[in-house]
Amino acid sequence: MANHTDSPSGHDMRRRNLVKAVGAGAALAGFPAIVRAQSTKLKVGVILPRSGVQGLIGQSCQIGADIAPALIKDMLGVDIELMNADWETNVDVARTRAERLIQEGAHVLVGPFDSGAASAIAQVAEQKGVPFVINIAAAPPITEQGYKFVFRNFPTAIDLTVNGLALIGDLFRATNVAPRSAVFMHVNDTFGQAMNRGIGATLPRLTQLPFKIVDTISYDPAAKDLSVEVSKAKASKADFLLLVCRLNDAIILRREIVKQRWNIMGMISPGSPGIYEDQFQKALGKLSENCISNNPWYNPKTAMTAAVIKQMAKQFPKEKLHSHGANVSYTFESILIAADAFKRARTTNPKELADAIRQTNLTDRVSLGGPIKFNAKGQVEGNLSAALINKDGRPQVMLPASAAETKPVFPWPDYKA
Amino acid sequence: MNRRALVSLLILGVALLLLPLFANSYLLSVATLILFFAFAGQAWNVMMGFCGQLSLGHSLYVGVGAYVAAGLFVHLGIGPWAGVWLAVALCVALGCTIGFLAFRFGISGVYFALLTIAFAEFTRIGFDHLQWTGGPGGLFLKVAQRDTIDIANFRGPPAMYYYAILALAAGALALCSWLLKSRAGFYWQAIRENEEAAQALGINTFRWKMLAVAISSAMTAVAGVFYAFYYNNLFPEQIFHISRSIEIILGPIIGGVGTLFGPILGAVVLTVLADGITELLAAVGVEVPGIKQVFYGIVLLMVIMFLPNGIWPTLARKLGLVHAEGGK
Repeated sequence: MANHTDSPSGHDMRRRNLVKAVGAGAALAGFPAIVRAQSTKLKVGVILPRSGVQGLIGQSCQIGADIAPALIKDMLGVDIELMNADWETNVDVARTRAERLIQEGAHVLVGPFDSGAASAIAQVAEQKGVPFVINIAAAPPITEQGYKFVFRNFPTAIDLTVNGLALIGDLFRATNVAPRSAVFMHVNDTFGQAMNRGIGATLPRLTQLPFKIVDTISYDPAAKDLSVEVSKAKASKADFLLLVCRLNDAIILRREIVKQRWNIMGMISPGSPGIYEDQFQKALGKLSENCISNNPWYNPKTAMTAAVIKQMAKQFPKEKLHSHGANVSYTFESILIAADAFKRARTTNPKELADAIRQTNLTDRVSLGGPIKFNAKGQVEGNLSAALINKDGRPQVMLPASAAETKPVFPWPDYKA
Repeated sequence: MNRRALVSLLILGVALLLLPLFANSYLLSVATLILFFAFAGQAWNVMMGFCGQLSLGHSLYVGVGAYVAAGLFVHLGIGPWAGVWLAVALCVALGCTIGFLAFRFGISGVYFALLTIAFAEFTRIGFDHLQWTGGPGGLFLKVAQRDTIDIANFRGPPAMYYYAILALAAGALALCSWLLKSRAGFYWQAIRENEEAAQALGINTFRWKMLAVAISSAMTAVAGVFYAFYYNNLFPEQIFHISRSIEIILGPIIGGVGTLFGPILGAVVLTVLADGITELLAAVGVEVPGIKQVFYGIVLLMVIMFLPNGIWPTLARKLGLVHAEGGK
């Protein structure tokens, strides 16, 4: 669990309340626009699921937000005040929290690690004319609505699938192997089904990939035993396992592969949680080594990533960036985008701030991908995934080569051809 | 209902009508949420509170109602005023199917509750695979920044949605009040108290239970249509989830099952409590994730322990809003 040592103190809260009271008084006096425009501090409403089903992920994202004020002050000289809100993994709450943050004077909203919540918040942001920078949410329609105040710096679900599959091709080229067949196993929940459909639609178009899927096997996300599924997968005689999983099933599945002495070239996730997570490595030890997953990730080679790691060590000494990956990098970048726009616009006027966000061109960044530039729909194009391999007890970037921390390894070293 | 209760109701009605003139957008959004849960809770109350049939799968009707109206709007351009009829018809058909299966084959109590959960769950799985409604990726209604009201397409500013759900909640209250005093209401209460005795008195329990299910599912379908056009995005994982059903039934349980004002009071208490705890914790500078849910749980536990019949019956008696013998 994250250690939120940077949370506002009681003193800060009282000060915030005083600022609110002064702001409210001015608003009543008829100068709301002037008050907003003249602010020297950017108030960022950070809305994340810090409790409920997605609580742990929300807290992970919160680390990215908590390190932002100090780091951005150093980088851009911009003062940021975080206004944290927990949407409790409940879309109804997300909407009211967004309303509340705007009411309290947030100049920009950041969050929320969920497409449904993002869509609910987007409507509030649009209605109130307050910029909203989405940190993580992949549903394509969010930026297809013609919104003027909604921006997303995260790949869409389609991009995620294409990036993940393309990296598999890159991996095979880099290791000079060409597996002919794969068995596709996926968790049978909403996410797994969506990935199944996405892969089914995308794979035929990626003609550079040398393999064909010979069998597709779905399994219950709450399964305690996957011996039958692994037997079936083994019987397919596929060269490698393409896997869309979550944490617990990934652990069970990896153990079952060993138990059944299934001799495969490796297991690769084209984009799902589980494999790169700390718990996977802790539970499996050496067995977790060389398992591969392709996911949005931070670029370990950039100066900004180094600064983020340093700041995390200062504020959250027990936390490591590789345990939080995209949660921290994309949340931090969302606040960076807002701060950069505020610096250029020199105002918190929402319309001018939104215009400045639209003109963003950040080349130095934490996450993998090209410069942060929004298209006409408010979507950043060119965000990339990384091919991650578990090595020495943590996920390490193999590809793209420019960000690599380790050499690509495929097939598994103990694979017998 | 006595004279004092009537005056109180009138004052409350006027206050609610004038609320958008004074409330900021946050309060308006909270009020809309309260009224939504009051309306949906009232719908559930018809089935459980009046007729004694425990449904834990009312998210089914919210979801189907929402998806039908939204799907027609997005894909065929059919507005919600037409879509709501199809949504209601489909939900009534679904409700009657569940009711028929249960009542015809003597499934009752906890087994009936399980049946309702099962229907909600496999409908969720079905919608996960239905590409016409976006599958697990969700169905999104086109949203534009609007200050003007487009009644035909039910698009407009937050105040429009507030008045719409206020009208629905008021309508539901009036309907339920009338139902309770009607022959159906008396038969339902007889069935609720002792089904065998009701049967022995010549009440066709199958028929009247089916009517309760039909009315309850129809009302919940309307709540679903409102939900779709208010939130503008639907995901099977969220709308059909059992937590949605629990949210709907918590209001009546806390307020007072089987009472007219219980669902409304329950929705007020739960929403204000949830937001109040958040505000209180923020004011004292406590930012521990999940702490709100702990407080929320403790308060609910205390209400259930000390007011097992809900808040409304006790409150109504103390305020002198009802005669000593009833809390309706």
